[in-house]
Amino acid sequence: MDVVADPQRACPLIGYAPQETGVYLPLTVRDNLRFFAGLAGLRRRARDERIDAVGAALSLEGLFDRRGSELSGGERRRLHTAIALVHRPRLVLLDEPTTGADVRTRGQILRLVQSLAEEGSAVVYSTHYLHEIEELGASVAFIDRGRIVARGQTSDLVRQYGSSALELTFDGPVPPAARLQGATVDGCSVRISASDPARTAAELLSRLDAETAGLRGIEVIRPTLETVYLSVTGRRYEHAVVPQ
Amino acid sequence: MISSRRLGVILAHELRLARRDPLPAMVLIVFPIITMAFLKPAFRPALVLAGHPHANGAEQVVPGQAALSAFFLVSLIAFGFFSEHFWGTWDRLRASPATSLEIVVGKALPRVAIGVAQFLVILTAGVVVFDLRVRGNVIAFAPLVVAFSICLVMLGVAVTAVCRTAQQANAFGVVGMVVFGAIGGALVPLSVLPAWARTIAPVTPTYWAMRGFRSVILDAQGFGGIALPTGVLLAMTLLFAAVAMRRLRFDETKLGMT
Repeated sequence: MDVVADPQRACPLIGYAPQETGVYLPLTVRDNLRFFAGLAGLRRRARDERIDAVGAALSLEGLFDRRGSELSGGERRRLHTAIALVHRPRLVLLDEPTTGADVRTRGQILRLVQSLAEEGSAVVYSTHYLHEIEELGASVAFIDRGRIVARGQTSDLVRQYGSSALELTFDGPVPPAARLQGATVDGCSVRISASDPARTAAELLSRLDAETAGLRGIEVIRPTLETVYLSVTGRRYEHAVVPQ
Repeated sequence: MISSRRLGVILAHELRLARRDPLPAMVLIVFPIITMAFLKPAFRPALVLAGHPHANGAEQVVPGQAALSAFFLVSLIAFGFFSEHFWGTWDRLRASPATSLEIVVGKALPRVAIGVAQFLVILTAGVVVFDLRVRGNVIAFAPLVVAFSICLVMLGVAVTAVCRTAQQANAFGVVGMVVFGAIGGALVPLSVLPAWARTIAPVTPTYWAMRGFRSVILDAQGFGGIALPTGVLLAMTLLFAAVAMRRLRFDETKLGMT
């Protein structure tokens, strides 16, 4: 189906939630959902059933009679997502749906996205939170400066690009003994790529000897989408966020 | 092409929004009734001098204040669009199956209805409260009022198309109301305006609305008296529609607030 040539057939199949929340602030939650369900062609009974279903999935049942302007940020985000899903679209476009969302809202949105995909909808989900993608276990495309730089299943990408590492943090400057070949230093921390981080840790601790007194922390970094991202985009370690 | 079912959904939605905030629509009715009360005596001498010895002032002040305040329709329809940008719902609307025409018509029709209702209430109040005596066929008001309301709403759509911010559209609405109202003979009788103002008056929709009202109220005419004014108002509507079609870009980002 050509979306441009035949928008009347295509649009009812699409559920779109832009990054910025878009809800009618003067209207109630129910009226917001009714309007978009009506535009998508749902008749009264089907419309009300879908409103109940999507309301239950996103914990909006108790808020149906509350105006958009009276909702908290998380509630408004849930309504925003519910509007995109109320007509059971075949293609769901969610642009950073969990931005600014509280922990509960984030969990609910992720569970709903998973159930939509299981029911057969195609979900395009853009986010900066890579652990969400790991949670969803989805097919991933990394976009860097407007170009797709890597694409594939999460597990395949992690296997292909992800690398284990060892991260050591010191009270002061990183001692020379810890500056192994291929290590990257960021202030008082050093990250060392290692295929077997446990063995490398043991070797390094014996090399550091007396200097272990200045060691504040040691962390094994397992390959994740974050390490894949750093690898495929060519970002250097010092530009990345160090996990807490 | 318009789907009547989708148009019905948009119309119901717009009316729901209007019900949630009725104050702007109420201004259209309350404002002229207040001003009519104290302006009526001031216009009697001007009408008598213009050759209507039995006039009491209501013949000018009732349609004049109604036509003047009807200009709020321009701001009302403009805010109907800008609010969508402020709420972040505009892109959702664009991504919905609703066509551009359905969205514009769905937003315009309720405002036209508000305009018509406003004239109905004001003219009735004029007869009942302000002793307005209509010498011609009252039914002839209907096409004139409908054409004037459509014309102002379409002007509002054109203003929306041209302006980038809600403030710009609002400024046009306020300034336009006063300027068009003054030059068009709604604020004061056309006969007391300077010659240059009378010369350019026909470029304003208000002039044609007032001309139609005068022909029915003072000159005892019927549909024949409002035919030309109604025709010109509809021609102006087409002009504003052409501007709107040329300039209204649905993918343009407008600022609800700055």
